[in-house]
Amino acid sequence: MGVASLVSTTSGLEHVRIGRWLLLLCLTLLGTGCASKQVVVEGNFPTPLLDPLPITLGVIYPQAFAEHEFFDEAKGRTETDWLVKTGEAQVTFWDKVFTGMFDEVVHIRDWETVLAHGADIDGVIIPAISDLQYTIPTHTNVKIYEIWMRYEFRLVDISAIHQQDDGALTVNPDERLAAWPVTAYGKTPTAFLQTDEEAVNLAAVVALRDAGAHFITTFGATPDIAVWLDNIANGISQNDTIPTPESGDVPVPVPPKEADAPEVKENPTATAAQTDSVS
Amino acid sequence: MGGAMRLKILRPVGIILTALLFEGCVNATVDEMTYNEPVAGIGESSVVILGRRHAPDYDTEFDFIECIGDHIHSGDPSIDVINEIAFINQFYPWFEPRTAPLQPQTIDQLLELPIVANQFAEMKLEYMIWIDGKTVDTDSVGSMSCGIGPGVAGCFGFGTWGTESEYEATIWDFTDKVEVGKVSAVTSGQSYMPAVIVPIPIIAPVQGTACDSLGDQLLEYLSAHH
Repeated sequence: MGVASLVSTTSGLEHVRIGRWLLLLCLTLLGTGCASKQVVVEGNFPTPLLDPLPITLGVIYPQAFAEHEFFDEAKGRTETDWLVKTGEAQVTFWDKVFTGMFDEVVHIRDWETVLAHGADIDGVIIPAISDLQYTIPTHTNVKIYEIWMRYEFRLVDISAIHQQDDGALTVNPDERLAAWPVTAYGKTPTAFLQTDEEAVNLAAVVALRDAGAHFITTFGATPDIAVWLDNIANGISQNDTIPTPESGDVPVPVPPKEADAPEVKENPTATAAQTDSVS
Repeated sequence: MGGAMRLKILRPVGIILTALLFEGCVNATVDEMTYNEPVAGIGESSVVILGRRHAPDYDTEFDFIECIGDHIHSGDPSIDVINEIAFINQFYPWFEPRTAPLQPQTIDQLLELPIVANQFAEMKLEYMIWIDGKTVDTDSVGSMSCGIGPGVAGCFGFGTWGTESEYEATIWDFTDKVEVGKVSAVTSGQSYMPAVIVPIPIIAPVQGTACDSLGDQLLEYLSAHH
């Protein structure tokens, strides 16, 4: 109303110009209501302060993990779509965690790496994100942005990794040494001049740090891991067999980040349950 | 540009400057209970001030912790106050909300890790101060409407809101692994925002007063000159 009364005092030519301006403003405001929000999680992650375990760890980041993103569709006109891409930050962060925890870390991206380093690798860890939830103040009326994540970690012997005919790496789910969940939570309060995207990013970074803290402090206490660590300490090798290509295993899609990375395909014969168990 | 024009420009500037001179009133209550005060100061040792962030509904603000650190260091530049974020990153993951020690006795468990113990020794850490609390806005009343048009903009109305801060500092003697004191500050104030064309914020510096109050008490405890 205030706007209308002020506009009425201007001349005819001005009328048109201001009307056009107001129309543009209204369209912009309408457009803003429908726009989706996207966050590519970024952060500087510290290296853990730990005495590394004398272990050579293989790491496979499945494609679904390395390119992990979370999409939440708006449920009403007042809400917006949210796309939170965490994959790149996940890989950066967990690389720091594993490098700090273990003497040596080998990224297993192809069969050549398995052949070259297989004899030295004590175990291969495969992380997966099984769930991610978030809340923002417009959802809860609480001035806090929150992110909750649930990981499923799998530790397998190097002998459980095989190569399919098409070059894809596969893991036999029955040959796992350990499987355990890790939950993580991150929150950040609202702050002056902070956008929703910045706050969600910060909450995700806090959640990642929490995931690392949870992983590090519970790693040795997980019963199957404790057995694995004991076996390594006692010199009982888990990799006395040379891995050979087999078929029928579950494929582990590896992100083709490097130029020489093989093209990875889903195994059409694998069941949904099997695929979920490794990716 | 006549005198009338200059007056037109100067008037809002004057209003804003006058508004900056006004501050809402703040009530502050400070409680202190400390033991084993370092009478000669802490020498070349250092102090770290950390915020508690394990509560589900709030985080102790990072900028509040920084404010107290700055207050102590500006009061006695010989006191080395370690930056909170740098400390948390350096000792990751041992001071995350999930893993941070809640009792001074549990620090011994951390020191069983040689790499952590070495870092602490290098740092010459003498006191670890934990701050737990928050600042919240409470009841707000009033209304304000603003309008904008070509060459003209303005607001009219009145708003007021309350703010409350409640913080507690717990001082741990890092050498003896014991708690040597608690200082708390509870502050509250009312802010006002009258608007006749230009909104004039009269903000009560509630959090700033809490920072100064806690900072003064901690400075008194740590410094030989206060």
